[in-house]
Formats: sequence, C-alpha cells, structure tokens
Amino acid sequence: MTSLTLTVAASTHNAKKIYGKDDSVVYALNDVSVDFYSGQFTAIMGPSGSGKSTLMHCIAGLDELTEGSAIIDGEDLSKMSDKDLTELRREKIGFIFQSFNLVPTLTADENIRLPLLLGNNKGNEEWIQRVINTVHLQDRLSHRPSELSGGQQQRVAVARALASEPRIIFADEPTGNLDSTTGGEILSFMRMAVDELKQTIVMVTHDPVAAAYADRIVFLADGKVAGEMLEPTAEKVLDRMKSLGN
Amino acid sequence: MFRIALKGILGRKARLVLTSLAVILGTAFLSGTSIFSATLTRTFDNLFSDVFQNVDAYVRSSQVIEADFGQEERQRIPVSLVDIVKTVPGVSDAAPDIQAFARIIGSDGKPLGADGNGPPTFGGVYTKYKGALWTIKQGHAPMNAGEVAIDEASVKAGKLTLNKKVKVVAQTGSREFTLVGIASYGNVRSPGGATFALFDPTTAQEFLAKPGFVDDILVTGDGSLSETALAAAINKAITKEIATKPVLKGVKTETLTGAQITQETQDQIGSALSFFGILLSVFSYIALGVGCFVIYNVFSISAAQRQRENALLRAIGASKKQISRAMLIEATIIGLFGSLVGLVGGIGLSKALSGLLRALSIDIPSGDLVITRSTVQQTLIAGLVVTLVSAWFPARRAGRVPPLAAMRETAIEIIASGKKRTIGGLVTIAAGVAVVVAVIAGAETTWLGIGILLVFIGTIILGPVIARPVALFLGRPAARFRGITGSMARQNSARNPKRTARTASPVLIGVALVTAVTALAASIKGQIDDVFTQQFKGDYAVSTNNRGFGGLSPSLALDISKLPEVAKATGIGLVTAKLDDKGQYITTISPESINGVWNIGLINAQYSDLATNSIFVSQKKAVKIGVAKGSIMKILFADGMTRKLTVSGLYVHNEIGDYIISKSLLADTTVVSFDRGVYIVTKQGVSSTVARAALTKAVTKYGQGDLLSKREYINKRSGNVNQLLGLIYGLLFLSVIIAVVGIIITLLLSVFERQRELGLLRAVGMTRSQVRTTVRWESVITSLLGAVIGIVLGIGLGWVIVFALRDQGLRNFALPIGSTIFIVFASFIVGVLAAIYPAWRATKVDILSALNTN
Repeated sequence: MTSLTLTVAASTHNAKKIYGKDDSVVYALNDVSVDFYSGQFTAIMGPSGSGKSTLMHCIAGLDELTEGSAIIDGEDLSKMSDKDLTELRREKIGFIFQSFNLVPTLTADENIRLPLLLGNNKGNEEWIQRVINTVHLQDRLSHRPSELSGGQQQRVAVARALASEPRIIFADEPTGNLDSTTGGEILSFMRMAVDELKQTIVMVTHDPVAAAYADRIVFLADGKVAGEMLEPTAEKVLDRMKSLGN
Repeated sequence: MFRIALKGILGRKARLVLTSLAVILGTAFLSGTSIFSATLTRTFDNLFSDVFQNVDAYVRSSQVIEADFGQEERQRIPVSLVDIVKTVPGVSDAAPDIQAFARIIGSDGKPLGADGNGPPTFGGVYTKYKGALWTIKQGHAPMNAGEVAIDEASVKAGKLTLNKKVKVVAQTGSREFTLVGIASYGNVRSPGGATFALFDPTTAQEFLAKPGFVDDILVTGDGSLSETALAAAINKAITKEIATKPVLKGVKTETLTGAQITQETQDQIGSALSFFGILLSVFSYIALGVGCFVIYNVFSISAAQRQRENALLRAIGASKKQISRAMLIEATIIGLFGSLVGLVGGIGLSKALSGLLRALSIDIPSGDLVITRSTVQQTLIAGLVVTLVSAWFPARRAGRVPPLAAMRETAIEIIASGKKRTIGGLVTIAAGVAVVVAVIAGAETTWLGIGILLVFIGTIILGPVIARPVALFLGRPAARFRGITGSMARQNSARNPKRTARTASPVLIGVALVTAVTALAASIKGQIDDVFTQQFKGDYAVSTNNRGFGGLSPSLALDISKLPEVAKATGIGLVTAKLDDKGQYITTISPESINGVWNIGLINAQYSDLATNSIFVSQKKAVKIGVAKGSIMKILFADGMTRKLTVSGLYVHNEIGDYIISKSLLADTTVVSFDRGVYIVTKQGVSSTVARAALTKAVTKYGQGDLLSKREYINKRSGNVNQLLGLIYGLLFLSVIIAVVGIIITLLLSVFERQRELGLLRAVGMTRSQVRTTVRWESVITSLLGAVIGIVLGIGLGWVIVFALRDQGLRNFALPIGSTIFIVFASFIVGVLAAIYPAWRATKVDILSALNTN
C-alpha cells in the first residue's frame, strides 16, 4: 500500500479553529493540514483536548473552521450553505457516533435507510442488502432500537453509515460505550467494510486497541498534527501515546 | 427545599414563562369577564342613582303583572293625583312622569338607536319641576301638542335642527313635531346611550300613554320630613282621596321612598345583567378548566425531564415529601405570578369583550373600569387553586422517583397500567351513557348534565389508551404522502400517548362544545325554517327586534291593509297577564284578518270562534294544565280587572305562543299592546317590485320595524340564532386559544427533550425544512386527534341537548356537515399555526452540542 496510488477523499489545509477572543484565545486546531485517502481506514488519535473531535467535526461539515479549508470530494465546505452542507452529509458522508445513534421511533431497517429516505432516494437495493448481510442484521430489521442490544444498535449505525455508499464515513469513538468483545466485533465490521466493500473510514478514538484496526493513524496534540503511523499495533500506539503525554 | 424550588424556577425561565402562560390565559378571562360585568353593573347603578337623585318619594300603581325574565306590566295612574300630592305637607314639588316607547326618526329617515338589544328609546314628560334632571340647553321647553325637546346626543346623531320638523314614533302611531328644545341630562348628553323625546305633560299622556294617565309621580320634599315619613304622608293623602272620589274607584297606588325606587331599579337591571354575568363566568370557568390540562401537562413533562435531577436529590438524602413539596412550592409561585399577570391582562380583555359585543350590535354604555375586591380575590384564588390541583399528581409522581433513576440514560415517563385505565374509562363512559339513556327513557332532565359530564370524564380517562392507535391512524396520510418526515411525525405523536392525550384534551373539549352548539343551532334553524314555511302563508312581514319595550304600533297593520296592493295584513302581538293566577305571555291576534295569513293548525275550530270572552289554548298546553274546549279560565290584566274566558279552540302549532286572545278584548283596558309583527298577503297580480315599494313607503312612515319578504323573514328568524351562536363562539374562542398554547408548550418541551435526536437527524442529513415538516405534522396529528374525538362527542352532546329540548318544540336533530368539515379543517390549521414557533426552535438545535449532551 504505497501512497502514490492513493486518491484523497477528504483533506484540510491550514485548518484553524479558534475559540474566544483577544487574550483568552484557545486554538482547538492550529494550522492542521492532513489528507484522508480513499479505501483506507484512518484513525485520529490524541489526548483529551488535542482537537481530534473538532478536526472530525470540521471535515464532516458539522462545524465551521475559523481559518483554512476543509475539502470533501473536491468541494470546499467553507463555501457551502447550511442546505448544501446538509445534502453533502446526507449523500457523501456516513456517521457513526459513540451513542444515541438511532432514532427511537424508527425500525432498524428505517434507521439504516434514513439518509436515503431523507433524500427521497431509493438507493442501491443490492448494496443495502449486502451491507445488512455483512453486519448480520437480516432478522432484526423490523425491531426498534429499544428492542436491540448495544452491540446490535451500533451494527445498525454502521449499516446506516454504509447504506448510501458515501465517499467517506466518520466514526466518533464508535466503541466507547461497548464492552471489549462487542467493541471488537464492531471494529471487525468496519475493517470488513474497508477491505470487502472498499469504503473509506475516518475514526476518532483514544483507545489504542481500536486504533490498531486502522491502516494509518494520524496523531494530534495541542491542535497540531503530531505525527503518523502506518500499519499500527496496539503496543506501538500505546508507546506513541505515552510520548504525547496522555 | 424552598430554596431548591426557587432555584429550580429561576434556572429555567423559559419553562416558567410557558407554565405561567396557561395560568395567565385562564385567569385573564376570569378577571376580564368579572371586570366587565362589574363595570356594566356600576355604569347602570350610577345612571339610576343619578336619575333619582332629587326624588324623595315615588308614587305608582300597585297593580302589576309579572311574567318571565323579570318583565312586568304595571298599570298607569290618573294624572289628577299629582295635584293631591302637591298639597301634602312636606312636599316641595311633584311632577307626572312617563317612561314609554318613542323612536326618533333622524333627518335621513332612519330611526335612531340600535334596533335590537341596545339601550332603550324613551318618550317622556318635560315639566318645570324641582327634581328634574332635564334642562333645556338650547331653545325652549315643549309647550303644546306640536312641540318636542330631544336629548343633545340624539340631536347630534340624527342630524336634527332646532325649529325644524322631526318625526317621532310611539305606540299610538307616528307624528311630526317641531324640535323646539335641545335638552341635557344633568351634565351628560344622553344617559346610558338611550334616546329621549320629551313632550309637555298633556301631549305625553295622549301620544305616549293614554289621556289622563301617567306611569308615576316624582316627588321632591322640602326637607322637613324624612323620606320614609314623606312617603307615608303621601300615601295617606292619596288613599283618602281615592276613598272619597268615585272616579278613582279601583285605583290602587303605592308610594316608595327615593332610596327604594333607586334600589329597585338597580336590582332589576342587576338581575337582567346577572344572567349575562353568569353566562360569561360559565365560559371563563370552561376556559380555566381547559387551562388545567395544559398546566397539568407542563408539570408532568417537566417532572419527567427533571427525573434525573430529582433522583439525584433522592440519592443524596431528600425525602419523597421534600421532592413533592419543592414542586408544589414552584406551582404556588407560578400560580400566584400567573394569576397576577392574568388579573392585569383581564383589564385589556374586558375592553376586548365590549368590542366583541359591539361587533354583534349589542351596544352597551361605557364607563370607567370597575375592579372590585371580589374580582381580585376570585382571580387569585382560582388561579392558585387550579395550578396547585393541576400540579398535585405530577408532584406526587416526582417524589416517587427511585434514586436509581439518576443513573439512567433518558427520561422515562411512568405509564400507568393500561388495563386499569381502559376499564376505568369504559366504566365511566358506560355509566354516563346509561344516565343519558335513562333520561331519554323518561328520567328527570337534570340528570342529563351528570351523564354528559361522566361521558367526558370517561373519554379523558381513556385518552392515553386510545391516543396511540388513533394518532397512528390519523397520521397515516402524513406518513404516506410526506415520506420519512411524515412517518416520523406520526410515530412522534404516538410515542408518548399520555402526553399526546393531555395535549389533545383541551382541543377535544373546545371542539366538542363548538360542535354541540353548532349542531344545536342548525337544529333550531332547521326547525324555524320548517315552522315558518308551514305556518306563515303571507308574502311579506314587518318584524321588530325591540324586545320587551315597545314594538310595532297596532295602527301599522291597519294602514298596510288599506293599501291597494295588499289583500290582507294582520298584526300579532304579546301582552302579559295573569292566567289562572300565573303570570304569562299571551299572544294577541285579530281574528278577522289573520285567516289565510298565519296557520296555527286549529282543531275543529275557526278563527272566528275567538271572541272577546274566549281564548285559544295550544293542544300541548291544554293537556299539561288540564283544560279542554269549553273550560273556563280566569284572566287578570294589569288594569286589575279579572275576566272569565271560555276556551273556544285548541291548536297544534304553538310557535307563536301557548295562549291566544283577540285584540278586541284589550280595547277597553289600559293594557299596553304592541304588535310583534305584521304579516301581509299581497293582491294577486301585483308584482313584487310594486308591492315592495308600496309597503316600504308605509313602513318607513312609522319608522319602526323592517319590511321583509317571506324568505328574508324566515332567514331573519334564523339569524337571531346566529347572533347567539356568534356570542358563544366568541366566548369559546379563549378556550381554543388556551388549547393552542397547550400544543405550543408541549411541542416546545418535546423539542427540548428530543434535542439529541434532532441533532442526530440533522447530522445524517435532515434539512431544516424537513425538521419543520416533522414538528408541524406531529402538531397537526395531535390537534386532529382532539378534533376527531371532540366531534364525535360533540355530535352526541348536540343530539342529546336537542332531545332534551323536544318539549320546547325542537323536533329534528340536524348535523351541519359543512360546519363539521370546517371544524376539522380549522383544527388542521390550528395544528399548523401552533407548530410554527416550536418548529423554528427545532431547526435551531445546535448539532454538535446536541450530540455531545450526555
């Protein structure tokens, strides 16, 4: 896997996110330029307050940069209206959050198809079935979230993120609320989505074990890129994190 | 705990405002109607204490017939008594007084004053009298049969000119006078909005009453005697005079003190107004009751939303009681705050109420607002009690929260066992229906109210059970045509059935009442239409709205019947009399001209059977009081003479009254008789244009009544129902507003509660307009839920009321399809409007902070 053959799915250039004014300014992101490649599973790691969630929110069109640019699929997010951003999230981005991923009034099937339904888009049925089979949800489709276990709920979330064949999927601590066995299962599904379904995933995490599932890790500290790691293992990650002062 | 409660309130100002809003609206209506009634009463009280301010004694006939609605028919007294009164020691001055009907015709040919329920149009006497309140401001006093003085306001309103001719209509007919004086009343231009035409004593007697007779005598003392002693002295002198003069035989009088007559007049007006006051307060309590649901709902939701906070307090050692008490303290503060604001809001509302009545052409005199202590007490107590009662159960429930709930993820409202609720609701409804059925089968009608109330309570108990299936059913079209947003709205409206039911209940009550009233009105209108089409065989009618006071001059029917275009014209009137010792309204007809104009369905009898010694009784009444053809009835008129009448016929259609006598019976009495209507058949071959022109001319000459074609006449009779309907709709409107506010509050709280969900939806691609659509449809479904159940109940209620009124002649229940559809449509709009602000708030949910809330 050499970087020469990779295409960029999303990137930031000199991204700055500044909170506060004058004397009390805080740089959540301080001049971050980073590329995320198609077909890769990238993890963003860093200690609390390093800016990893902010970076993800800004690339995913959930938050705005103060300076610099965030680009997805060649489009500069800073130039888009709320409506365009909403459509972008619906059509080109998939999300997996730590918790409260699903709409309680909708069935698992409806939750999976939610972005498509909101866009009045039928989607690719063959693909959706394949996704559902991959995460083993065939016999849970008519259940509502309250009737599903935590692991099953996160599997529905993974399926939803994949359903619309997005350019990129953002996952924010997707296993943070799960026990290690169930968490491992979810991470395997995400790995499978990249390997078998050729998807692109960017995951924010502070868990070295979770990060070890990724192809590449981008480290952040104090709002700056603090290095990268390819083909990580949990031990290697833990060592690096220690050096970042976690 | 008090400090925690206080902090709880101040920490959530938005919720404070929302909860208070329901209290404010409910109490504002209460205080508004109370202020309005008090102001109206005070205005009239002041008016009459002004009228009798210089009167120390008041002489009038003691012969009086009282009928329903506080109406009375009092005999007149001979004017010669004035001179006797003047000779009584202690009397400084006395003057004859007449209060009779007189209508001034403006320079544009239109009669002055409101034609309907407005202030009265008076004719009276102008004399030089010490106690007189009338003074001539311009010109001079009327001195002969051709002169009149008119109050300043009416001169202005009618654009009348001094020393020019003016037409005045009275019981004896219409006449032209020269306007010689412009009068003012004390220091006001016209008391209470009434119009006054003043004549010299002789003209007044002859034109307004009967020559030689007046209504009463006003007496001013010289100050040497107390009012009571003065009245006694006058009474003694008059009794002596009557005993010695044979001409005065049969005259019976009484003498009241100035204070007594003032009080009596004020009481009469007071009791007339009190009916109106009761009507207003009934509707304001309905509004407050509707407000109860909203307050209850807000407290329930906020208790649920604060579950974790309360659980935490429990975990660290607060007792159940303390938690409940904190919430009740919060309720007390909200109740007091809301009631105080409501009290102030009521002032504005009382003004709006005057406006509403004026829009319905019920003109009322204006005066300074009167805010009594009882208004303040009533408002504050009602507001506080309603808030505390509504908060009681949510507070108890809040106390019962297990400390473990502090660890739980989301707020969960404890939903009571559906089975218990279903059984309780169904049993209550069944009991209510059983009572209603019993009434239909012949039980006492008063039970009907209890039965209806039970059905309502049962439905509201059952609400949470039926809310889910009904909301899901009603939401189907939204889910179908609105895709995922509609489907989510449908699910949202059903996700917390208890809350949805509580939100829909105010709509339900409002819609049920509106539907019932509409159905009742439609039934009455249908009835009127049937009756008049069947019974009124003429082509035109002249009708008047002057209830109780005045009416059409009896000579109008005579004049019209002489027109070459007219085949027949007959007048129908009303008098009050005691019939077998009971005060009654008795219909007066002209047997010689009514045949072929009005069909009352005489049974084996003719109109010509009605002579001066006979009476017709409706068949229904005859059965009730046990008389038959040939029975003898005693009738006592206001002149004090008792006559014996033979029942000479029975009839079927009692819409014009249960007793009918001939007008010739009244000819030799002093009984006041006006026609309520004149009914006309035109000659064959006379075109409607020609007939109308001729009739209009004749009617305009009198300045009384409206000329209407048969169709117009029937429509006008139904129109009276519309006026009442308008008033009731207006009064129910506040309940509807409270229902709307209830929906707004619930939606806002739900939006707040679902912030994370909204954040998630926005993140995965829901646009702002889709967010709005979802909230809007949820609101519409909730509103329709209330409307649909309300309509079902309302139709039932309407049917039952129509049934209960069958003795009043209501025979057919009419369901106004158009109005019902309109109500459904209106509730749809209500749902859309109520959602505007909550939907906007929902789009303002910040995605990131919503997602990060834990």
